[in-house]
Amino acid sequence: MVEYRIDRRTGVATYLQIVQQTKQAMRLGLLEPGDKLPTAREVVEATAINPNTVLKAYRELEREGLVEARRGLGTFVRKSLGAAPADSPFGAELGDWAVRAREAGLERDDVAALFTSVLDTYFKGEQG
Amino acid sequence: MTTTTALTAPERPTAQRTGRLHGLTWTLLRVHRSALWFWILYLAVTAGVILWTYGPGADSALAELTRLGCRDGDPNLGCDTGSSRVSRWDTGMALGSTLITVAPLLIAAWAGGALIGRELENGTAQLAWTQSVSPARWLAAKLAVPAVLIITGTLLLTVLHRMLWTSHLELARWYGSWSWYDSQIFEANGTLATAYALLGLALGVLAGMVARHSLAGLGVGAVAIGIVVQQFQSLRPHLWPAETRKGTGDLGMTVGTGSYTSTGARLPGLLCGDRAACVARNDVAGVYRDYHAASHFWPLQLMETGLVLALVAAATATAFWLLRRRTA
Amino acid sequence: MTDTAMEAAGLGKRFGRRKGWALRACTFRLPAGRVCAVVGPNGAGKSTLLAHAAGLLRPTEGTLTVLGTSPAAARERMAYVAQDKPLHPQLTVEDTLRLGRELNPRRWDAAVAERVVADGALDPDVKIHALSGGQRTRVALALALGKRPELLLLDEPMADLDPLARHELMGTLMADAAENGTTVVMSSHVVAELEGSCDHVLLVGAGQVRLAGPLDDLLAAHTLITGPAADLDDHTVIESRTTGRQTTALIRPGGRLTGTWRSTTPTLEELVLAHLRSPEAPPLHLDDTVEAAV
Repeated sequence: MVEYRIDRRTGVATYLQIVQQTKQAMRLGLLEPGDKLPTAREVVEATAINPNTVLKAYRELEREGLVEARRGLGTFVRKSLGAAPADSPFGAELGDWAVRAREAGLERDDVAALFTSVLDTYFKGEQG
Repeated sequence: MTTTTALTAPERPTAQRTGRLHGLTWTLLRVHRSALWFWILYLAVTAGVILWTYGPGADSALAELTRLGCRDGDPNLGCDTGSSRVSRWDTGMALGSTLITVAPLLIAAWAGGALIGRELENGTAQLAWTQSVSPARWLAAKLAVPAVLIITGTLLLTVLHRMLWTSHLELARWYGSWSWYDSQIFEANGTLATAYALLGLALGVLAGMVARHSLAGLGVGAVAIGIVVQQFQSLRPHLWPAETRKGTGDLGMTVGTGSYTSTGARLPGLLCGDRAACVARNDVAGVYRDYHAASHFWPLQLMETGLVLALVAAATATAFWLLRRRTA
Repeated sequence: MTDTAMEAAGLGKRFGRRKGWALRACTFRLPAGRVCAVVGPNGAGKSTLLAHAAGLLRPTEGTLTVLGTSPAAARERMAYVAQDKPLHPQLTVEDTLRLGRELNPRRWDAAVAERVVADGALDPDVKIHALSGGQRTRVALALALGKRPELLLLDEPMADLDPLARHELMGTLMADAAENGTTVVMSSHVVAELEGSCDHVLLVGAGQVRLAGPLDDLLAAHTLITGPAADLDDHTVIESRTTGRQTTALIRPGGRLTGTWRSTTPTLEELVLAHLRSPEAPPLHLDDTVEAAV
């Protein structure tokens, strides 16, 4: 199960935050094929966001073929995005890199900015 | 829509509960529970006073009069001043009828304040109107439920009071300070007590509708019923043709007195007494008195009741009209 | 079921002849299933509008229909929570819910109402007058939701709640909307508290509808631009501020933006505030009420 955390100040549309966090959970192996996503009711009860926003996010995930809605049962994960689970070599390397960066005196924000700019350079055109 | 139907279905049995109060009636009695208890207490106390006066009070007064030798056809001087037990009986008479005639004032104050004014002021009326209850049904219940309780209670007290009044005429005639036409006795002995209690409710409700505020509703309601009752009391002797008798003396409810001349013409309000100049100047041949004998009790009672009930209807209609004009 | 939850045509209300218009020429349409925010400053007419929808007031002119019929005829199918959450103070929580059942015999869902109360850990035997503002709101909301309304009207529902209770109750509301497709209309003068929850907006200012339509469409119709001061004649400028050589403006683009503008989509709060600061900005209706554009 995944729990969404909505941050109103990021400027990122709420439905996109749900899409991103779902994908994130799939990448980290927290959601695997066959897993059920929380119902719209569960999400909005916890987050107080608009139910149509959740439905829009789920439709988007469905459109990308990541999840499927089974009538009367709920929305289920269809495939894995397990390219880089948390315990993959990439995760370990990134961890080493983060340690080095901190030792070099970089602040959290510096690291985040650096990481984002590297992402922007190498993953051009791909929306997060 | 399908969800709604599915969800309401299991609730049906609750709606079919029988033998228990439900709907608006339950709500009304629950919300105004303390007023209901007060009314029951009020009825109990008044009935208690009347029954005491009727039974133990009268018995001990008569026993004392017997002991003092006032009942053997040869009363002594002490009998005129009465005794403590007789005056206690007399107080019972006064208290019983007063409690009956004060009720409309209390009802009007309550209806204007707590029943309507407060609910419009703090929004609980609007709370009811946004349930499945239309404002008109709400107001109808606000009138009907108290009306039933008021009619039942007041009629009961009236019956008891009539029983008290007719049972000890000896005491009432010789030692009591009350006459059938004294306003509180007149009202408590007939349909008027109930009619005025209903008028208290109707005027109170109207006052609450106009004031939309508990304290103002209470004040306006009480003042309105006070003024109306007072007006009716001064109108009362004129509601039925009076009888006329020449001469003076206490004959019953007085409508008017005056003098008549040798030609038979009436001079209303003129009473010369022993003043010869006055008699000569006005050619006064004697005095007359227009009055109602006790036999006019019911005609007078029913005429006035009819007028009061017409006023009840008018006040009620106005309250509904106000409500309709304001709400959708 | 009709697809329109609420529709106003030329709605106007004047309290007494000497007083001004509380609402004037209000025209809008709210589709069913939406969560609509009625925003605007205090005294703008939000409460008057909601009270009309609830059938508590009679319009001076124009019409307002709810759920395809008159408010009076739709009384059973909608619920309304007034701003000061009126409840009988001498009743217990349990009796208050019983009142809901007694006054809504055909619709009452005791389980729903009891769950809303239980979620707030309220003792059913405690009297209303002993409750805090937040607890009262919860009971008022339980009474409204227990009715299973198709349309839920809430006047400043969150005004006297702490942030936690606000979040919880909004979650409860949204859950109900998700489960039953309830149309929710709630007013607030604090725009931020509605931002994530609503998907439709009605901005009321000085008794008039200034903006009406789906939130996303309204936001998309406006652009927040910053750049060197320049001519903006091609666009409808809602508000513009020039500091030195730089201009910040909220506009409704009337064509291609030329020049070196940095443009972003405004937030709901920015959109609302800009309109409130500029009372003369033309109204915008994106809720397909054509005749409204007069």
